[in-house]
Amino acid sequence: MQRLWKIFSKGIVYENPLLMLMIGLCSAVAVTSSVGNAVGMGGAMTFVIVFAELVISLFRKLIPNDARIPIFIIVIAAFTTIIDLSMKAYLPELSKSLGVFIPLIVVNCIIMGRVEAFASKEKPLDAVVDALGMGVGYTWVLVGIAAFRELLGNGTLMAAQVMPEAFQPILFFTLPPGGFMVFALFISFNIWLKKAMERRAAAPAKEAA
Amino acid sequence: MKKDILKLGLALALFAAGACVALAMVYAVTKPTIEGHEARNLEASLKEIFPEADAFESLNGELSADTAGVTVTGAWKASKGGATLGLAIRTLGKSYGGDAAMLVGVRTDRRLSGVRILTLSDTPGLGANATSPTYFVDKASKTTFPGQFKDKPVSDPFEVKNDVSAITASTITSKALTDMAKAAALAGSAWLEKAAAGGM
Repeated sequence: MQRLWKIFSKGIVYENPLLMLMIGLCSAVAVTSSVGNAVGMGGAMTFVIVFAELVISLFRKLIPNDARIPIFIIVIAAFTTIIDLSMKAYLPELSKSLGVFIPLIVVNCIIMGRVEAFASKEKPLDAVVDALGMGVGYTWVLVGIAAFRELLGNGTLMAAQVMPEAFQPILFFTLPPGGFMVFALFISFNIWLKKAMERRAAAPAKEAA
Repeated sequence: MKKDILKLGLALALFAAGACVALAMVYAVTKPTIEGHEARNLEASLKEIFPEADAFESLNGELSADTAGVTVTGAWKASKGGATLGLAIRTLGKSYGGDAAMLVGVRTDRRLSGVRILTLSDTPGLGANATSPTYFVDKASKTTFPGQFKDKPVSDPFEVKNDVSAITASTITSKALTDMAKAAALAGSAWLEKAAAGGM
């Protein structure tokens, strides 16, 4: 159990896909201009990574090493299309606002990276736990950045007006440069968090006192 | 070596076949719902543009746009009790993030009865504000970007930043949508005029 928790939790801070591994950044900056989009994107991406890692881990002994990349892409693309069609059918509004970024999950390096580095070598249960950790790590960062950008850049959260009427939205945060800046702030916050957690782990006695 | 290639090809084919079966199933399950959404959306959009109309008659292929890059993909004649109210025209054009579709209503008095954006895949928070019901190009009167075309005379110049307010930092989106509205308005009013002259 503790081993599984370790696999799960590393995706959240220590090996956070966006802030530590720094992969899959392109769509992350693009969809974080509103919280609703970030939640939808995080959910879709978590679905794809969980099932892609599960399937590839289940069939890892049947996948010939020389043809593994095309097979990974087939599996990832299949699940991406499944979530794309399902969202179009059951969440048409969200699907409309996320537009092209859902099909682009196929080329999201987080999934490719985890499938190649983890699922193709480990047991199915571990792979699913790893995928969930990565999905949660990806989603919290997206939602955090989106909340920051939507609140300051548009004065709203989940499309509901939060800031007082007099607040003049700082459009900079909705635009890509603002996205990069908030992203950088999150990276430094995560490094601080990681160091703080390491210090805490190293000196538990001091913490108690 | 030869055996290897066969083995690799076979593995690839197996995975592709598996993926195919799964996708075919999901596609079959979701297709009616997706098409239902589209049909309902179209019906709702037509009703929104011509709320007083009681019948819509499809006029496929009778209209075409003169503007480069804009095509007419459908047209409906709205009528009430047999009298023509106007035309609803669906146009397809290119915006910042790819194809955009728009429904434009033209009344017989040569004014636009309304504009509705059907599909737009522009940047969320920027160009996508065109479809947001809470994004106002004129905050004082709560006018949305498509809302400003309501009751606009067809003879207007349709120029962004002149008689059309742009969406902040989304000039390409604003221009593309305005061009589509203009093309539809011209095509629609031309058809209506011809129909009136021909006694239709």
